[in-house]
Amino acid sequence: MLELQGVYCNIGKHEVLHGVSLEMEQGELVCMLGANGAGKSTLFRTISGLLRPTQGSITFEGEVISRIRPDAIVRKGISLCPEGRKLFPRLSVKKNLMMGAYSRYREKEEVAAALREVYELFPILEERGEQEAGTLSGGEQQMLAIGRALMSQPRLLLLDEPSLGLAPLVVTRIMETIVDINRRGITIMLSEQNASMALSISTRGYVLENGSIVLEGSAEELAGNEEVKKAYIGA
Amino acid sequence: MSFFLNQVVIGIQLGSQYVMVALGLTLIFGILDISHFAHGHLYMLGAYLLYILTALAKVNYWLALPLCMIALALGGVIVERLVYRPLRDQPHINTFIAAIGLFLFLETLVRAVKPRAVSVSKPIDKTLSFAGFTIEVQRLIVIAGAVALVVLLHLFIKRTRMGTAIEAVAQDREGAALVGINVNRISMLTFAIATALAAAAAVLMAPLAFISPEMGSVLILKAFVIVVLGGLGSMQGAIVGGYLLGILEALAIAYVSSAYKDVFAFAVLILILAIRPTGLFKGRD
Repeated sequence: MLELQGVYCNIGKHEVLHGVSLEMEQGELVCMLGANGAGKSTLFRTISGLLRPTQGSITFEGEVISRIRPDAIVRKGISLCPEGRKLFPRLSVKKNLMMGAYSRYREKEEVAAALREVYELFPILEERGEQEAGTLSGGEQQMLAIGRALMSQPRLLLLDEPSLGLAPLVVTRIMETIVDINRRGITIMLSEQNASMALSISTRGYVLENGSIVLEGSAEELAGNEEVKKAYIGA
Repeated sequence: MSFFLNQVVIGIQLGSQYVMVALGLTLIFGILDISHFAHGHLYMLGAYLLYILTALAKVNYWLALPLCMIALALGGVIVERLVYRPLRDQPHINTFIAAIGLFLFLETLVRAVKPRAVSVSKPIDKTLSFAGFTIEVQRLIVIAGAVALVVLLHLFIKRTRMGTAIEAVAQDREGAALVGINVNRISMLTFAIATALAAAAAVLMAPLAFISPEMGSVLILKAFVIVVLGGLGSMQGAIVGGYLLGILEALAIAYVSSAYKDVFAFAVLILILAIRPTGLFKGRD
């Protein structure tokens, strides 16, 4: 479904990704582990078109997407729920969600169905529909960010540290929802600093260090790996 | 008392043009993050285009109004595309310098072609008098035109998908790109709308004043004051601020001296920056 081959990417003059290659199959839930500054967000931003790779290629469903704009990538079926959420703070919750379906506005029924599905996943968003997004709690904002990313009805959902800064109970709730979304048939790549939690819900994982993939394997293999335990689980 | 009310009405008319120009400036601020200092000069071009159309080509004033708006909307798109977009990811100071450069370029260009001020005649050259009021019909046209355009703009921004996209880009540019909004197209649309509004203001105001190459300079400074007064990026702030400044100026002309009318705008700016630098309304964070 998604394939990266030797992707290099710079931020300013600084090279952040040094030849990342990876592959994802339809229906997988893959986690991307790595410390703060390892390049996880840069990788996600590159896949979604916010950054252009300097070398290498990104292929999605057989089509090279490494040279197209982010809004066109959304239309291809990839949606990023970014770090920092990037909501529209002074628009209502509902308008935020409707903007998520910006490029699908002609398919009125599908958009209405997507909205119902998001409300089903996060009932609180329906309750808060007319409230400005900026007035929501951190957990609710994260739910809104995920909901908004789902409104474009993506086939691949990229979740960049959805648990960052949230209370443990909320994190558990969000992780459960991620599993639920994946069961509904959406392929997911999840980046996390909290490795044990991410591995507990993923099928496979990669470890990113200083802009390179240093390890990959099934969730069990990674959870049992001594290096991973030492660096990311703290056991 | 009726003299006072008469001045307030004139103030609302002065404020109407400020509102139209300041609204565009505040919309563009949301998109660019800095002030589009050449905005007043596009207003000036709008007035000259009106002069060319009505005084030279003998086009009807009411036909010239939409023509000027369309032409300047295109002008705004060209400015966004050629001047601002190439500087999008560069430090703000570069955009700022480009804005000043465009400002000087347009003013000098017009001065080179037509150094003397020109004027256009009023479409309805009448003055109404009733109950102690005396007011030129053109002033009422300015007021009505501004109200109509502001209401239309408000409905467009709040009720349409494209309008919401303008707000989305202003509030989070990256978030907007990530939901599938073509940010470049929305920037162009914003410039088109803002510049068309400035052109409308110019066409409505032109019969009441002289058209000169420097007419945009003082206006843009006042529009900037209004945007700061109202809160950077806030539309309601631009509306309230625009009318407030217009009324203040009209009263100052009547009760103090017309020689000092521009002083008041800048006194307001200094006061606002000292007392409430965020402005009257919350614009952006």
